[in-house]
Amino acid sequence: MKPKPQQSFTVLIFHWLNVVSLTVMITSGLQIYNANPVFGGRAGWQFPSLFLLGGWLAGGRHWHFAAMSVFSLNLLAYGIYIVLTKRWKNRFISQSDLKALQKSQNAKRTNYAWHRLTYTAIIPVLLLSIFTGIGMYKPAQFDWIVNLFGSWKALRIVHFIAVPTFVIFALLHSFLAFKVGGSRLIQSMFIK
Amino acid sequence: MSKIYLPRRRLLQISGLSGLGLILGGCGASLSDGVVFKATEPLNQSLEALLLNPNKLITEFPASSIEPAALLINTYDTTPEIDPETFRLKIDGEVKQPLNLSMAEIKKMPFTSMTIRHICVEGWSAIVQWGGIRLRELVTLAQPNTDVRYINFQSADGYYESWDLVSALHPQTILAYQKNGQPLPIDNGAPLRLASPIKLGYKQSKWVTQITLLKEKPKALGYWEDQGYEWFGGL
Repeated sequence: MKPKPQQSFTVLIFHWLNVVSLTVMITSGLQIYNANPVFGGRAGWQFPSLFLLGGWLAGGRHWHFAAMSVFSLNLLAYGIYIVLTKRWKNRFISQSDLKALQKSQNAKRTNYAWHRLTYTAIIPVLLLSIFTGIGMYKPAQFDWIVNLFGSWKALRIVHFIAVPTFVIFALLHSFLAFKVGGSRLIQSMFIK
Repeated sequence: MSKIYLPRRRLLQISGLSGLGLILGGCGASLSDGVVFKATEPLNQSLEALLLNPNKLITEFPASSIEPAALLINTYDTTPEIDPETFRLKIDGEVKQPLNLSMAEIKKMPFTSMTIRHICVEGWSAIVQWGGIRLRELVTLAQPNTDVRYINFQSADGYYESWDLVSALHPQTILAYQKNGQPLPIDNGAPLRLASPIKLGYKQSKWVTQITLLKEKPKALGYWEDQGYEWFGGL
């Protein structure tokens, strides 16, 4: 029997805060979305209440603005952590992973490379949702962000796209983690 | 083996995620008005005030960018009928010189025009041209006391709104009587409405009849704020 995978407490806290704050951000974000769907306006399709948080627009905004700092500061702390512990050198996709994806016949090796590719790819998605979020939170003070996307509508679409992207990531991430390390690895990310 | 386990695991994960949403969603409405809102709103309000640069002029747009059809009409109750001939705008509260102005007097004052992005809390926006008088000119005329920090707007339809004075004195906060080059339509708040690129739409009262300068934030913050919306509503 191989030794049980172990994660540091710091990593577990980052992961938990990320899971909880992103769930709040997404469900409250969909509540806000429903007040005036990006696609179709008032007549547009709305998300069913199962996926919503806050009860109505004001409640959705409260949750969204409450969780935004938790989510952003957690990501910032994680950024500082991976720099200080030099984890950035071996946690993200590398040249050798890319080579493995192209050439390796070893299924374990390619699974691992896919896992790291997915994990790396979500970082810019999370950063982009903060960036577009700042643009929507204070479009007058940060009008250059809105202008960068061309229009308010374009900014809303890019901000919203983070939701399906992240849901797909969460599924892939869980699936690949399972393929790489089985339920023991997954369990180690949630409990000590 | 993994082929048998995978679907179940994924199903569990998906149901776990949506289950969390259900739990939070079920109690979300009452919780957010209680614990979460009370715990985070003061901090968020300070952040909003901090992010507001009172001297920054917000981007204006060329006339060709105006989106006449995009500006939706939101009214909480009824559309009041106001005779512009007899209409008076009152300015009172903590001022040395209370004012009572007719539309003719207001239109004699310096005219300001701006083409800005109007953003509704619901998520939509519209580029609109507004013309009227800078609120800061009227406030200056009324000579507010030095300890004034807030300003309250009463409307003919019963709508009420309070603002921080800093936002009210922003050079692009105006009392508009013109929209997209035409006299302001009654549905958009004629004869006088607030317009500003630095506040959400619900802060921009229509049919304004009375402006009151205040030392303290009023108990009744605003029609939508008293239903649960945040007070600052800055952009």
